[in-house]
Amino acid sequence: MMNDQSQIHAEEAPLDFAFVLASSVHDMKNSLGMLLTTLATMMEQSPPQNPEQEQTYAVLEYEAARINSELVQLLSLYRMQHEHLLVQIDEHHVIDVLEEQLARNDMLFRTRNIQVRVNCDEDLSWYFDGELIGGVINNILVNCARYCRNTLQITADIIDNQLCIAVHDDGAGYPASMLAAPHEVNAGVSFSSGSTRLGLLFAHRVAGLHRSREQRGYIRLANDGILGGGVFQLWLP
Amino acid sequence: MAEAEYYKLHALIVDDFDSFRVSVSKMLQDFGIQYIDSAVNGADALRHCKSKSYDLILCDHNLGRGKTGQQVLEDLRENGHLNRYSLFVLISAESSKSIIMAAYDYEPDAYLTKPVTTKALQQRLSRLLAQRARMLPIMQAIDNERWDVAEALCLREINGGRYANPCQKLLGQLYIQLGAYEKAETVYRDVLEVRQLDWAQVGMARVKKMQGDLVGAQQWLEEVMNTNPLCMKAYDLQAEIYREQHLHKPLQDVLQQAVEISPLSILRQQQLGDVAMMNNDAETAANAYRKTVRLGENSFYDRIENHAGFARATLALFRKNTLMAKSLLREAIKTMSELEQRFGKSLEQKIETQLIESQLFACNGEMRKAEDVLRSARQLIATANIEKLPITAEVELVRAYATVGQKTAADELTQELLERYEGSEQDLEKLDALLEEPASQKNRSLVAVINKQGVACYEAGDYAGAIRCFEDALITFPNHIGIRLNLVQALVDKLKLEFDAGAMDLAISTLAQVESRIVTTHDQFRRFRQLQDALRNLDASRRR
Repeated sequence: MMNDQSQIHAEEAPLDFAFVLASSVHDMKNSLGMLLTTLATMMEQSPPQNPEQEQTYAVLEYEAARINSELVQLLSLYRMQHEHLLVQIDEHHVIDVLEEQLARNDMLFRTRNIQVRVNCDEDLSWYFDGELIGGVINNILVNCARYCRNTLQITADIIDNQLCIAVHDDGAGYPASMLAAPHEVNAGVSFSSGSTRLGLLFAHRVAGLHRSREQRGYIRLANDGILGGGVFQLWLP
Repeated sequence: MAEAEYYKLHALIVDDFDSFRVSVSKMLQDFGIQYIDSAVNGADALRHCKSKSYDLILCDHNLGRGKTGQQVLEDLRENGHLNRYSLFVLISAESSKSIIMAAYDYEPDAYLTKPVTTKALQQRLSRLLAQRARMLPIMQAIDNERWDVAEALCLREINGGRYANPCQKLLGQLYIQLGAYEKAETVYRDVLEVRQLDWAQVGMARVKKMQGDLVGAQQWLEEVMNTNPLCMKAYDLQAEIYREQHLHKPLQDVLQQAVEISPLSILRQQQLGDVAMMNNDAETAANAYRKTVRLGENSFYDRIENHAGFARATLALFRKNTLMAKSLLREAIKTMSELEQRFGKSLEQKIETQLIESQLFACNGEMRKAEDVLRSARQLIATANIEKLPITAEVELVRAYATVGQKTAADELTQELLERYEGSEQDLEKLDALLEEPASQKNRSLVAVINKQGVACYEAGDYAGAIRCFEDALITFPNHIGIRLNLVQALVDKLKLEFDAGAMDLAISTLAQVESRIVTTHDQFRRFRQLQDALRNLDASRRR
């Protein structure tokens, strides 16, 4: 119920930041989509002639993917803080979600010569918000594409009645400060390395939105991955 | 789906962004799809779908001016231009659900987030097509009303198939549709045993409702809303239950909660406007209808009633709280002036619209315009070849007379209407809003009951209780002089015991409203004078 006149006009407040953010994200993503398509066409028409060119393409591809995942996170985190974020838990096939994110980043992996192996039962299904979890996976993949040497391995298993999706890389491993507090966004902001850790904060928040009975989802970082590098784990009850 | 089968598909791409259409079109060609059309906006998309049936529609949500992608989908479904075998994929730039918020009756088959890349699109399409192919026999069985076949196919898929989950949803709905509530309950229980999923909980609530167990339904719905306050289907079912039970107050409450979470659903705003009007909550009604007018701009669900509802609610608000209504008047006038262009009008609608417009002008202090429009409406009535005006128009005519200050004409017409509709309870209820005391049996007894409660409280010395009862009664019957005076009397006696500025103000404003309406020959006029004196004395003794 509204009590006074001023509230009737409340919705005409001068600037709705969520709206401004959403519409500029929309424009940016349209441009980004064009950028990616044009890039793909270019690489098809004139494949890299030497390692330098290959490297140039890889950089373009990676930076575009990164802008995209940062935009998605930015908007989602804003929503978590300022409004309700719609969480729609339903049963999904895990492989579908993984493959979708791999397909999304196909060009990125190819330009960087990264082999991605997936160990996931075709019929494995679990309960989660497909879109949000897809966003988390996408983000980790983009991040790993930068820090691994040339191999990634994704595994998905049910362990103690929880789904564990793990992304293993063959890189140098996560730094100690991140292992200690993976989701504290301010702990390791390093503009020189270009990492704001927004991605891990996002992953942490999304995992926490998944609850069943008394349990809550969470993320974990470790350096004992099966490829000798780091491993990111997402646990969902 | 095998690559070979792509070539048979007919696809439509809808986006206002030219290069997006071109690039997606190229991707679809690469998959082997031969028949690809594209549309630049909602209207263009609807034209395409009207003339041809598509297997696949890829539609951006943000289409610039005009309809959004969601509105295109609603229009297609409502007009039957989209059969259940075709796939509608909604594309958007940001995490798609959040803008859409599942706030509408029709959900797309899939959401796709920009940027769309070839491999991601192909992967998603082949998954969707595989699912569609698998579900096709079930859909066909349902369309042919071969219920036993549909049931058997669903059960087979549920037992180990890849699409167990969607089949459980479908089977639950099917059982409910067929009245097999116990079987539906079993389906939902099986789901819930594994995991508390909101669609199964809402399904259980519906089963309970259909079985007549409203308490059970209530419990399920409360549980859903607790764990997932954004599950709009739960609010909708709750509203449906209250509506059927004629529980208008709780109905308004649940709709208010729902529109707060998801303000963009025109259908819920419309329902809220309707029920708030019934509850005499003009403020809520005016705001809800105002939103329906704005949301209706490109919507299939735009209705002339919403626009007229906005104007009516604004007028009702004006009668109660002039100040609050002031800010809405201009917008209401604009809405009414655009009505004809938007909907076209029958003669009867034209008359009613003018009568409402006349009141709006009068309330806005534009007396000349108000009188002109009223005159034009009366001319229309006189020259029109209509046997008699609908009662709603007659009521507006009385109100128009009253607002432009033609009191005698208003009273005479009211009298005439009372005689004309004597014995017709339903029509009398509509006239009650104009009268000091209700003419319909239903409202008469309603007034009597609340009034009696108030009097009982008063006699027992419970002035606060009495005041509450009389105020309640006045919400429904604002013109009732007897109840208004009862309210003042209870306030006066309360004030004698203890001074209270709020009560004093209420008493003074209530008496002022009576004064503007009462005539010296009224049988309560003496009582009115006495109360006026009593209040003056109270005020004077306090000042001394």
